[in-house]
Amino acid sequence: MTTTAPSPSALPTGNGPWRLARRELRRRPSVTVSLAVVALFLLMAAGAPLLSALAGWSPEEFDKNAVDPYLGGRPIGPLGGVSADHWLGVEPVTGRDLFARVVHGAQVSLLIALTATAIVVVTGTAAGIAAGYFGGRTDAVLSRLMDLTMSFPSLIFMIAMMSVAKDVNRVLLMTAVIGLFGWPGVARVVRGQALSLKHREYVDAARVGGSGPWRILTRDILPGVSGPVIAYTTLIVPGMIATEAALSYLGVGVRPPTPSWGQMIAESVAFYDTDPMYFVVPSTCLFLTVLAFTLLGDALRDVLDPRSSRT
Amino acid sequence: MILYTARRLLGVAGVLLAIAAVTFTVFYVLPSDPAAVACGKSCSTDRLEAIRAHMGLDRPLWRQFADFVTGIFTGRTMGSGRYALHCSFPCLGYSYENSASVWALLMDRLPVSASLALGAAVLWLLLGLSAGVTAALRKDTLTDRALMVGAVAAASLPVYFTSMMLIYGLIRVAGLLPYPQYVPLGDDPLHWASNLLLPWLALALLYAAMYARQSRSSMIEAMAEPYIRTARAKGLPRRTVVVKHGLRAGMTPILTLFGMDLGGLLAGAVITESIFGLPGIGRLFYGALSTGDQPVILGVTLMAAAFIVVANLAVDLLYAVVDPRVRY
Amino acid sequence: MNKRTCTALAALLAAPLALGAAGCSGGERQSDDGKDGGRKNPAAANAGAVLGGTPQKGGTLTVLSNQDFTHLDPARNWVMSDMDFGTRLLYRTLVTYRAAPGAQGGEIVPDLATDLGTPSDGARTWTFHLKQGVKYEDGTPVTAQDVKYNVERSFSPDLPGGADYAARYLAGAEGYRGPAEGKHLDSVKTPDEHTIVFELNKPFAEFPNATVMPTFAPVPQSRDKGPQYDNRPFSSGPYKVDSYDRNKKLVLVRNDHWDPRTDEVRKAYPDKLVVVMGLKANQIDDRLIASQGADASAVSWGALRPESAAKVLPDAQVRQRLLAESQNCTDMVQMHTGRAPFDDVRVRRAVQYALDREAVMTASGGPAFNDPSTAYMPAALFGGKQPDTLKIPATGDAGKAKELLKEAGKPDGFSTKMTVSSGDKGRAEAIQQSLGKAGIKVTIETIDPSAFYATIGDTKNRTDMVYTGWCPDYPSGSTFLPFVFDGRFVKEKGNSGNHSLFRDDATMKRMDGIAAMTDPKQATRAWQQLDGEILAKAPAVPVLVRRWPLVLGTNIAGAYGQTSFGGQLDYATAGLKDPSRSQG
Repeated sequence: MTTTAPSPSALPTGNGPWRLARRELRRRPSVTVSLAVVALFLLMAAGAPLLSALAGWSPEEFDKNAVDPYLGGRPIGPLGGVSADHWLGVEPVTGRDLFARVVHGAQVSLLIALTATAIVVVTGTAAGIAAGYFGGRTDAVLSRLMDLTMSFPSLIFMIAMMSVAKDVNRVLLMTAVIGLFGWPGVARVVRGQALSLKHREYVDAARVGGSGPWRILTRDILPGVSGPVIAYTTLIVPGMIATEAALSYLGVGVRPPTPSWGQMIAESVAFYDTDPMYFVVPSTCLFLTVLAFTLLGDALRDVLDPRSSRT
Repeated sequence: MILYTARRLLGVAGVLLAIAAVTFTVFYVLPSDPAAVACGKSCSTDRLEAIRAHMGLDRPLWRQFADFVTGIFTGRTMGSGRYALHCSFPCLGYSYENSASVWALLMDRLPVSASLALGAAVLWLLLGLSAGVTAALRKDTLTDRALMVGAVAAASLPVYFTSMMLIYGLIRVAGLLPYPQYVPLGDDPLHWASNLLLPWLALALLYAAMYARQSRSSMIEAMAEPYIRTARAKGLPRRTVVVKHGLRAGMTPILTLFGMDLGGLLAGAVITESIFGLPGIGRLFYGALSTGDQPVILGVTLMAAAFIVVANLAVDLLYAVVDPRVRY
Repeated sequence: MNKRTCTALAALLAAPLALGAAGCSGGERQSDDGKDGGRKNPAAANAGAVLGGTPQKGGTLTVLSNQDFTHLDPARNWVMSDMDFGTRLLYRTLVTYRAAPGAQGGEIVPDLATDLGTPSDGARTWTFHLKQGVKYEDGTPVTAQDVKYNVERSFSPDLPGGADYAARYLAGAEGYRGPAEGKHLDSVKTPDEHTIVFELNKPFAEFPNATVMPTFAPVPQSRDKGPQYDNRPFSSGPYKVDSYDRNKKLVLVRNDHWDPRTDEVRKAYPDKLVVVMGLKANQIDDRLIASQGADASAVSWGALRPESAAKVLPDAQVRQRLLAESQNCTDMVQMHTGRAPFDDVRVRRAVQYALDREAVMTASGGPAFNDPSTAYMPAALFGGKQPDTLKIPATGDAGKAKELLKEAGKPDGFSTKMTVSSGDKGRAEAIQQSLGKAGIKVTIETIDPSAFYATIGDTKNRTDMVYTGWCPDYPSGSTFLPFVFDGRFVKEKGNSGNHSLFRDDATMKRMDGIAAMTDPKQATRAWQQLDGEILAKAPAVPVLVRRWPLVLGTNIAGAYGQTSFGGQLDYATAGLKDPSRSQG
């Protein structure tokens, strides 16, 4: 969860600009709201077992009394079986508690999306810095690799890989597969930044001062690229969430009965008219999370990335 | 320019070969056995071996790949005797599952995916660019805010949600449109359009939102350029400034985006095609996955990659036309 | 594979019988309607009846489908519904099923042949004579050589997927690879154009039942295009292919050379059949429920989705157009008896007790579209009703299951994996949930239907549990128990039927004994008894028997679920009430 809020105390260098950024962000109401939404869903994901215990249902527990087997398992009661027992109603057919599933689904969806984002950012930053700073052959090879990866029809390839892989940890595989295709985007941004930072006076000074490349990279270049990277990161999170959902939607995601939002939506589509609540609940969660991350990313980009915040 | 194009074309061929090799290795090495799938419910070991030999799966992997690559240029003949199959240039393999060559299958489905992608593209460019430019020109007004909030919201809606809402609203409740059922353009243009309208809308909404956001920021950026200020100072009409100078410069990032998006969509919008039951390349691909139809998987991946690479190339070449600052 | 009959079943279903009272759904279903203590099955009202009366000749019958046919090439066609479509419309076989609803649909009648075949040499040799005047779509006559040729084609490795009856029973068939290289099968003889003789490798009294398979349809050698034949089968039936755009649309028009006087089965009412493919299954359901415009003359290819039950069952108008014939296949959880922990009968019995059949039924569309199963063989092989020898409650008995596990030395349960076809995911989750209550943690592996049999047929690499079904090929225990529980049929790859890998000497000995019985009634009773004996050894858990619910358009007539084709609409007799309302 390091990617969400650029909490100034966590960042090692230069308190000045960060404080400035923080003040700028505070001024925007959209940031406050989206931060709150993101925090809410993160808390929900983290506290999923606790929350579902509180509601009294585990996400995989059937409740036969909540559905009518004669009507294709339609939930009994209004709004998809909303009651004191089932806060958001139940899943048709199985009677599984929708609240418990949506909360656990958040865990799976966000875990995959955020881990994949972390992979993308770490790989992308490393590759970008290496390409930009070292230049020459390293740059040529890495840039070719970026071009190649970007030419891959990523979604098609991801679906294919997910569908043929059998005896593996689905969550892990999905994270890896999603991460595999995202890094060139970050790498390009970082490479550009690194290229421009490479010949700044303070970097030259460090080099003359006898610092090794590792030290220069970590102490001088990395902090310089961190602003745009943070903004870019926040902006790719929604894409990752959507990709996870899309893969699960197509039935190549996590295994049943593990819930994820995409999988829940996929299953609820068939009930969209007979039990709209079932369809609306996970869809809304997905929508709100993607929206919140997008708004947050927009704001961060405006503030942290001097190039695109020129306006 | 010519030299540049030639060099890029060479690069395209290289990238496609690399992608073919990667895809080939991944899908032919992974544990799935198309022969066993074809063999069916009750399959003796003897028969399984015979089918495998017939499909050429008993040959070493590199030979299979070499055959595949040469087949693209020269065509191939598979099997022998009465049932020999000839797969002519450009042979991307033969799908035993569909009893047709992969190329024929792709060409059969391409019109559907192309209809979907191009129709949606027209819609989203119209919607997205007009919203984006309007917002940029009225920066920080209520119109701008409203448009951008709408765009962010629309971009955050998953396509399957929008699709279901459109189906429910326009088909089930209002009864305005038929359930989509693809009709070729040549057969009946009116039915072609009315059947594709919903999928177009569903796709276009998502992309229009992204294009609105992108075009707004590039417009704002472009309008702040010194030469725009010069043009204004010269007293050129606002319209000329916006369209001839601002939009033209602001188009570059849009063009990049458009190339990638269209390239990706031409090779099949898997989710949209499956929701609306359109028999395009995405559906073909999805079906091939479930039956382990490796030649089709490979063919679709290659074709999708080809579209993306070629679209990128086209975009790079177009830069020179659109943006006077770019020279090769 | 399934074709069978059920004498008393139709009567049982037609009766307004409360399911709860039928000993099916256990004791604890709270009746929430409170009127008669249970509810009658709202879907079974039309069982055994012909809906819509007798059709008028003409018009276009539209079939809405979410998929394409697996194979229409008669040498490769071995999917229940596809066989219905192929043999009822496009090609004729030596023998076929009577076109009638209910139990009568399981009877076989001559089709290309003049009678049901003549056995000789102790049922080791079978002779069929072909009718005169049966013609292909180009007017040329159908010959015995063409039937032989298609039987030979079914051995081709280029043409996989078909039924293996010919391979299993014809003498000297080992190593035969089809006619493509000019080799022919000596055990099929054609002394003249209208006589065909099959020499079998062992006596087989039920051979005519096997000749309903599309393998025994004629294909003239001059028309054979190998794998391409699948895209354009040459017609000997009442319709011919006008156009076939794979995965999109198939159009059939009348074959003018088909002579109804030679055909007592096919009625061929519509002038044209259009199969629209690749639609979304739930949209098909919605369209047929609404049944507006051209959709009034349409039927669905696939079964009604369980999700759509809530739109169909409460509505008496729609319910009138609902068919829900039993598929007569038993869904089972089969356990790998050759490996720990399922080599211990107590563990397997624990699974029998833990499994909540009622929950699986709900996941499968509810009691309206399923019947719970208390024996392996479906009700048809028990004269209409399965016995309940184990008396396990339909909701399972987790306590008893835990006890059994403790006895087996697994008081904390264990973890295992189960392979299911992707369409069975919901059922699998219900099983997973109920076994979990007894401490058996199941991981589900879903496999696409097309790859499912290949996956579970690989006995070395498959999971310990599989969820699969078996359908008797015709109403005889000999087409069920030996296929599912005879250890001698187990193959390392391409294994089918006996997914428990059950090798029990007593069972196998008994099966041989019953197979040698000459009195069919005695044999029937013996199979029924053996079913219970095997159940006690628990190689598999019988779960449920599904129905094939179909909603018909309002303009459809002559419609019933053909029991021999898994409850699929019988295309031999389906047509339109008012052809002028259909759209060309």
